[in-house]
Amino acid sequence: MEKLTKDGLEKLRQQHAAADKNYIKVGFSSCGIAAGAQEVYDVLCEEVRKHNADVEIKKCGCVGMCSAEPLVEVRVKNMPRVFYGKVDKETAIKIVEKHVGAKMLLNDRIYDMKVS
Amino acid sequence: MNKKMVEEEIREIADSWKGKEGNLIMVLHEIQNRYGYVPREVSLVLSEILDVPLARIYEVITFYHFFRLTPPGKIKISVCMGTACYLKGGAELLGELEHLLCVKPGETTKDGQFHLEVVRCLGCCGLAPVLKIKEKIYGSVKKKDIGDIIAQYSEETEAKEAV
Amino acid sequence: MGKTVFIKDTTIGGKDRTRDVYGILLGVLRERGLENNVQLVRVVDIGVYGQGVVVRVLPENFLYTHVEDADIVGIVEQSLIGGKPFAAKLVAEGARQLRIVLRNCGVIDPESIEEYIAKDGYQALAKVLSDTPEKTLQEMKTSGLRGRGGAGFPTGMKWEFTRKSPGAQKYIICNGDEGDPGAYMDRSVLEGDPHSVIEGMIIGGYAIGASKGYFYIRAEYPLAIERIEKALHQCREAGLLGKNIFGSSFSFDVEIRLGAGAFVCGEETALIASIEGKRGYPSPRPPFPSVKGLWGKPTCINNVETLANIPVILLKGGAWFAGIGTASSKGTKVFAVTGKVKNSGLVEVPMGTAIEDIVYGIGGGALAGKSVKAIQTGGPSGGVIPKEHFSTKVDYESLQQMGSIMGSGGMIVMDEDDCMPDIAKFYLGFCVDESCGKCAPCRIGGTQMLRLLTKVTEGEGTPKDLEQLEQISHAMQKASLCGLGQTAPNPVLSTLHYYRAEYDAHVKNKKCPACKCAKLVRFLIMSEKCVKCGMCFKACPVNAISGNRESGYLIDQTKCIRCGQCFEACKPRAISRS
Repeated sequence: MEKLTKDGLEKLRQQHAAADKNYIKVGFSSCGIAAGAQEVYDVLCEEVRKHNADVEIKKCGCVGMCSAEPLVEVRVKNMPRVFYGKVDKETAIKIVEKHVGAKMLLNDRIYDMKVS
Repeated sequence: MNKKMVEEEIREIADSWKGKEGNLIMVLHEIQNRYGYVPREVSLVLSEILDVPLARIYEVITFYHFFRLTPPGKIKISVCMGTACYLKGGAELLGELEHLLCVKPGETTKDGQFHLEVVRCLGCCGLAPVLKIKEKIYGSVKKKDIGDIIAQYSEETEAKEAV
Repeated sequence: MGKTVFIKDTTIGGKDRTRDVYGILLGVLRERGLENNVQLVRVVDIGVYGQGVVVRVLPENFLYTHVEDADIVGIVEQSLIGGKPFAAKLVAEGARQLRIVLRNCGVIDPESIEEYIAKDGYQALAKVLSDTPEKTLQEMKTSGLRGRGGAGFPTGMKWEFTRKSPGAQKYIICNGDEGDPGAYMDRSVLEGDPHSVIEGMIIGGYAIGASKGYFYIRAEYPLAIERIEKALHQCREAGLLGKNIFGSSFSFDVEIRLGAGAFVCGEETALIASIEGKRGYPSPRPPFPSVKGLWGKPTCINNVETLANIPVILLKGGAWFAGIGTASSKGTKVFAVTGKVKNSGLVEVPMGTAIEDIVYGIGGGALAGKSVKAIQTGGPSGGVIPKEHFSTKVDYESLQQMGSIMGSGGMIVMDEDDCMPDIAKFYLGFCVDESCGKCAPCRIGGTQMLRLLTKVTEGEGTPKDLEQLEQISHAMQKASLCGLGQTAPNPVLSTLHYYRAEYDAHVKNKKCPACKCAKLVRFLIMSEKCVKCGMCFKACPVNAISGNRESGYLIDQTKCIRCGQCFEACKPRAISRS
């Protein structure tokens, strides 16, 4: 990476500004990892590859809902942004199949949502 | 321990911190990472290399809870006693572990397999009560689960030894 | 976006009717042929607690509470078909969080500097460097930001003192030695948004005229250390650390130093000693670190959360920040709400939010079947606040008036099963363990107080012991060298103040009202309820229970170790605990 100038910083900012894309974020802080974030992340990656789903999987820090870890945020265009809590392998598979694939939210798994 | 080898290793660690003031604690961290504790032979060598009196090294080692003067067991079990874990039954987990392993906190089992210790908050209060075995953190642990968790590790070491 | 309906029965206790309401709603939708146009979802948490059946309609985000079955048709017709609110049950959104410090936590990938930059990262630094340090100091003073480590000293003033101290070499230190057991705000910020702390530190360095910064982080937080290391490396690559940052004349670099498990090292002067490679002994102030700090040079020490605030303040302006919070405490505060609470986790709210809004509104109240008794803030240096005072609004002054402190942000929720003398003993035990032993009031006073509290919780206490506890407390507060000793008696004094009756019960009646103190608890089998199943007999680990399935069972009090296993094993609840 070159030494940043002010213009360079601005350019970089615009380049990486949030695009209107589908994503799944997995919380990777100590508490998330302790609760099993790595396994969830691996399953999600595997499923997305298998279904060739139109979604990007990212890692992020802690949202603060530690008692609901592992926490997975899902954003699919034209659907509410939601947080699935206490995600296990089965839920992870369903997230990709149902939520991302069939555009159906999962029952009894959502812990929070964002209006935006 | 081979003195020459130790000297080489310590010199390597100390050299990476050369010229930085107040490096003693950081050097001790790296030593403990490598050996699991700070052996007396190593302190003697370190004293020569850093030109710091042995008393100063021991002063620091004994002041901070993190540094150890004796080798830990093969598998370290840390029970969190932060406030959240305490309220949610951390003390009961500790009691159960003491009972199962027949050791008190700070001690190693006779066979040298498990080392039990109490820590102040692992920062996973949302999952309280919490315990850490090796580098893995177990959250929302119930007293009745402990036997099974420990059994996994006993089997693991037995399997390794069999190989 | 199509319509989505979230449903959750938030009634505390009783049958969960979420599924029933889901069924009724689905039926109403089917009648109107809408079942494919609307998504019905049962959720685990809807952001509202104890408000009966709650229904949320998206994307408009209409929130309905105490929904009866009869309201459902109205909600469908008004909101789902008409797109308008169903006025009869509509409520405004309750206490919500405001995220300044945690703005990026859980949003960006903490290991990617690009994602931080995309969220306006390092813009504040670029802006600050194109102006004088005095301008930054002025902006910080306008913001009214106060140190988030506990004491609440105005950050702008602290920076100015350090800047004005004579000396060519100055230092800025980030205090990441989060020792308060039960609080982990700093860990979360360091792990979730390391660049914001680094940016705050570089700006601080520029403002005070320091060319070098130190991160002091607990060795117990390996992931935080790893992420800060990575972030620092990225900064060096990008020229955000090193010589002539952004082409200015300002050069700055940062080193990491690890703590080694000593609570006292959170105290400024002890922290400095530890970075110098010595044991973490505090030293008397003055001289303050801003005059004579690390290696005798002027040094500014800021907490992690304080530094994470700084980029936002300087980007949006001090006046914007000063518009949030109360008259004396500006901005937001992150709390680690933990203990006996439904949603334990991190909460960031504007200063001046009522405790009840945090504990019940956001935290969701007590665990199933229990009721909240009190909260404890400020960790081993703080005090308890009983639920009767939960209308108190959190800021530095009001918490102090309640006999507690803001502290670093631990908020431990306690319920009816928690015994106050036992809590006081827990915190005091912590301080005794962590006392460095340098000054006598803390070293001896703490040990003596712990001895007295142990007597109390074991039923050996006398009324005179309580008096003595107060006496020693006051002596420690006045005579201890550093904050650890001065504040160590706080948990004792505040529980004595609010829960004197509980102490009296231990001392006079030899009873523990919360049934927590093992030595004061007695388990008895109530023969009229006993079904003679023998479960208690099997559960007892010390064979203190004798009898058989015909004659019934009896607990031998001399053998009983009060572990409570029989109490838990008894299905018909025939064992009493008192």
